[in-house]
Amino acid sequence: MTYSPPDESTLGVLVGVRENRALRTNPMARARRQDGQHRASLGTAFIGIGAALVCALRAIYGFSWFVSLWSTYPNPVPALAAWILLIIVLVTAFVTTRIMGDHLPDWMFLVFVGSLTLVIALDLLAVWDLHDMGRYATASLTAAMSLLLVITLRTTTNVLLVTGIFGAVIAGAMVINTPLTAHNVPTLITSLGFAMLPVVIGVSVVRGFRRMVQVELDRVLVQSTVSAPRFAVGMLASEELARLDLAAEELLDSVATGRNPLPLKPKIASIAASLATELRLHLIEGRRETWLYHAISESEMLGRSVTLVDRGSLAGLLDANQRDGLLAAIWLLLSDNVRPNTNRTVNVQVGPIEQAKQPGIGQKLGVPIVVTTSNVTRNRVDPSTWDAIRRVGRYSDTTQNASLRVDIECFVDNPADV
Amino acid sequence: MDQILKERDRLLQRTARLFGLSFTVISILCLAVPGSIDAVAYAVVLPLYGLLATFQYFMGRSRSPGWLLGIVATGLAIIMSMTLLVDTPTQGAQSAITQLSAASLACVAIALATSRPRLYVLVAAVAVVATVTTVLTAMWQPPIRTLLLILTGWVFATIVGVWISAGVPQAARRIASIGRAHRAERQASELEAQRRQSARLLHDTVLATLTLLAHSGVGVAPAALQQQAADDARLLRQLRLGATPTPQSSGDYNLEPVEETVLGTTLESVKQRFGRMGLEVSWHGTGQVLLPSDVLDAFLLALAECLENVRRHSGVTEAHVTIIDDATTVRAMITDAGVGFTLDDVDSARLGFKESVVGRLKEVGGHARLFSAPGSGTTVVLEVPR
Repeated sequence: MTYSPPDESTLGVLVGVRENRALRTNPMARARRQDGQHRASLGTAFIGIGAALVCALRAIYGFSWFVSLWSTYPNPVPALAAWILLIIVLVTAFVTTRIMGDHLPDWMFLVFVGSLTLVIALDLLAVWDLHDMGRYATASLTAAMSLLLVITLRTTTNVLLVTGIFGAVIAGAMVINTPLTAHNVPTLITSLGFAMLPVVIGVSVVRGFRRMVQVELDRVLVQSTVSAPRFAVGMLASEELARLDLAAEELLDSVATGRNPLPLKPKIASIAASLATELRLHLIEGRRETWLYHAISESEMLGRSVTLVDRGSLAGLLDANQRDGLLAAIWLLLSDNVRPNTNRTVNVQVGPIEQAKQPGIGQKLGVPIVVTTSNVTRNRVDPSTWDAIRRVGRYSDTTQNASLRVDIECFVDNPADV
Repeated sequence: MDQILKERDRLLQRTARLFGLSFTVISILCLAVPGSIDAVAYAVVLPLYGLLATFQYFMGRSRSPGWLLGIVATGLAIIMSMTLLVDTPTQGAQSAITQLSAASLACVAIALATSRPRLYVLVAAVAVVATVTTVLTAMWQPPIRTLLLILTGWVFATIVGVWISAGVPQAARRIASIGRAHRAERQASELEAQRRQSARLLHDTVLATLTLLAHSGVGVAPAALQQQAADDARLLRQLRLGATPTPQSSGDYNLEPVEETVLGTTLESVKQRFGRMGLEVSWHGTGQVLLPSDVLDAFLLALAECLENVRRHSGVTEAHVTIIDDATTVRAMITDAGVGFTLDDVDSARLGFKESVVGRLKEVGGHARLFSAPGSGTTVVLEVPR
């Protein structure tokens, strides 16, 4: 076992990098981002099947046109070849995408795009002499729409880029080949629009769906803090402690085996000192944070825009229902981002505790909670926010600095009585 | 569940907006082809298109059915004014009407495909649009063709909406199961953290050794420090592997899950450990005291901490430990004949003494007292309940 100094301390600071705030990202959020791509594909398979269905319907529509136009082709062989190839490609692509799960390797995507290019070329060749592409092009338009099959498996840029190129090629061919008149231009526009827009809409649906799943996942994961004890160590505490223990073990081992000869070099000594400090902090300070702190710091969405002031760790006293209400309210205040560029923030201040007028057993403690916001106007607040806040306690809402402010009177069981 | 339904509605509205606006643009492009309709018709129709696009834009922001009503009404107004103002049907006008009635207006189907009452509204909307358009364009193209196109467009949009809404509960179920797994994970993590944190005696000695290493190990015999490091590394390895370190190999730590442990054997290993570091410890009094393991842990830690202070600060190499026990308490007196100090000079609230000695003893119901004067050594009395 060799000892290598950790590149990041468990307090979130990179060793050797001083006060670089951008790098102090939450490890939880980082871990989630890494597999976020994978997790966000949850449920998109179903959307993918829907897209494939649309594609199949379009292919049937196009093919029936092709059959009805058969007699008008000067030479139907290239068009027929285009259709046969297209059907093979579509079926193969559908089966492959079902098997591949949520990612299509680059080479497969290139083969797919290459085959579609060939289909478009053959079809355009077949109808070239007819000089009215808006009317006669069939397989090529279906091919341009076939990108729908991979909208859940490739990046938005990939799909849109290829669709754009296909559209441009077909449009170019139309302009060169077909004499433009008031009669046939609308048909050209329509056929092109019907070939390309479904892909654009499909891509936007998949993006929206992914975003929705991401937000919901974030919310559900954070929701588990509601049932946490009054003080909790947070999801990563044991992992951090385990990592520190391992680092200490390796350092001690290297000393024991003489790989780091005594007296130690100043660099190793300073590593030992910082390990001891971190370990001490994790052992002594571990259980001072409440569920609310963990909820905010573990969530990608809340972490960005919520600040918490809770000097007495009073949030830990809230019961599960109150916590659920408070969390839901914060979530609702932030998630209604109708205008994405407005930067909504929420500040939650818990406490200080109110002195009971008549102290005694069974007297509930009053914990005032003040929620101040920025860029949240009262009339844009989702009505269910008020239901959520009502579960925390009696509230009154005012406007402060042109944004909403809610004062909640929250009553909790006195921990001394329990 | 409630929240994801909101998100679903938002997604459907946005999709409907994109769908509607795209085909509105296509419809306008068809009209823009020169010769499609005359200037008067343009003047009437274009503002209506503007209104339609505005309604479609706002449909993306709000669930209110008012926008949907506005879209259908404006769309029908456009179709009506075009059929009235254009005498001879052109391909442009015809395409524009088809795009409008079969695709652009069908966007409301996506937004309406969420619940049964809204589906009824949808059916009514299709009926109105199909009837009005078919009747108005009866002179332009065969009614059956118009009807088929409109139905295809609306059915298609409805399927898109229904399909998306059907995908959401599936995703929601799986998200919920991930959430449940996460809750279990959180509890497990909490327990694991607890396990590691409660191995405090182990961590205390690791911290002590790390502190020695932080001073490069100066002042301690290298062999002794290496031995200590090896012991601690082994304990940490055992903790890491999930095993409970065995008392024989762990020297002065006893993490065995037994209720009571004999004090004597562990005292002996504390003595050996300090012996290695150059402090001779002599034991007096009882060696065989049974203590609950958490009390023993705290007691030993406090004792070791006091001996460490003797080793560092007293200037002598010998310390005496006397253990006395009665029915209720076990008491240890740690005495040295070293330099001593004035109690007022040394802040006893320093983290070292307060956290590691007083704090730990207090946790198990014990306490510590300190007696010292310059030149006459130091005595610490530690007491824990039996």
